Amino acid sequence: MHIAALVTWLITALGGFYLLGTWIARGALRAPGSSRLPAPVLFGHFLLAAAGLVVWIIYLAADKKALAWTAFALLVPVALLGLAMFARWLPGVRTRHAVTPAGAPGAAAPAEAAPERHFPIPVVLGHGVFAVATVILVLISAIQK
Amino acid sequence: MSTQPQDGKHPVSSLLAGPYGHPLHPLLVTVPIGAWVASLVFDIGSHVAGRGGMLADGSLWLIAVGVLGALAAASVGFLDLFAIPTGTRAFRTGLVHMSLNLAVTAAYAGGFAWRRGGYGHSASVGAGQLALSAVSLAVLAVSGFLGGKLAYRYGVRVAAETVQREGLERTPAARG
Repeated sequence: MHIAALVTWLITALGGFYLLGTWIARGALRAPGSSRLPAPVLFGHFLLAAAGLVVWIIYLAADKKALAWTAFALLVPVALLGLAMFARWLPGVRTRHAVTPAGAPGAAAPAEAAPERHFPIPVVLGHGVFAVATVILVLISAIQK
Repeated sequence: MSTQPQDGKHPVSSLLAGPYGHPLHPLLVTVPIGAWVASLVFDIGSHVAGRGGMLADGSLWLIAVGVLGALAAASVGFLDLFAIPTGTRAFRTGLVHMSLNLAVTAAYAGGFAWRRGGYGHSASVGAGQLALSAVSLAVLAVSGFLGGKLAYRYGVRVAAETVQREGLERTPAARG
């Protein structure tokens, strides 16, 4: 169970790095205000998730119950920040699909504004699904320990 | 947040990656480099000095300290990678630097698991385990060379030359 949590955590992290890379490459920092995702929320999510992953790796080596619960406690704000960003990302996707018929010429132009509109939907959904799986696996591991 | 050009010199997050001109990544990499070099010295010491088991156990601790330090350095390193414009020579060098470091960290994590059974058994470090550490450290040296290239040749996370010049101009008092 705890190794499964490590695997889902690492897959979630890979998705997160892809999204962060896309967000920065699409100019989120060059033009502040262009994104609906606040930078402190995004970087807070990144920092806490990375710290939690390190705690989980220490737990795998040291096998102490307190470490498993510490990792879970770190994941709670990570999940809340992630949900908040998901909620702010979602309306952009809806308008993209409402306004942009597939392949319509020039239709992509207004969508250029927000960097997070370049997030591939499967990556965002995969990131979320693996994140939820990680939280559940970590919680079960901590309870069973 | 103020406007930042994505030129490889400005941090994507001052708080996490260190402010302009003071990157955190070079500071954090000293932990895994130091721990893993000392670990290899302990490995060799476990064969040539008495009380080999004590040094072998110490080496296991140093590998663990190095892995944790490497993960911390990697978190910040990812942010500095994202500061580099994609499709450039510097970005490709950064990708190779990252891949090698992740491989080395994974090798040390594997080495930790491999050695763990022998912890507290007062035996010297096995030849295979010692070889894995030696190879990992050699790969780390190659990766470190690329890291040096990123900083000193491409100037990633290094202040612009116009900013550097401020520190090299003689102040009126010192001119005397």
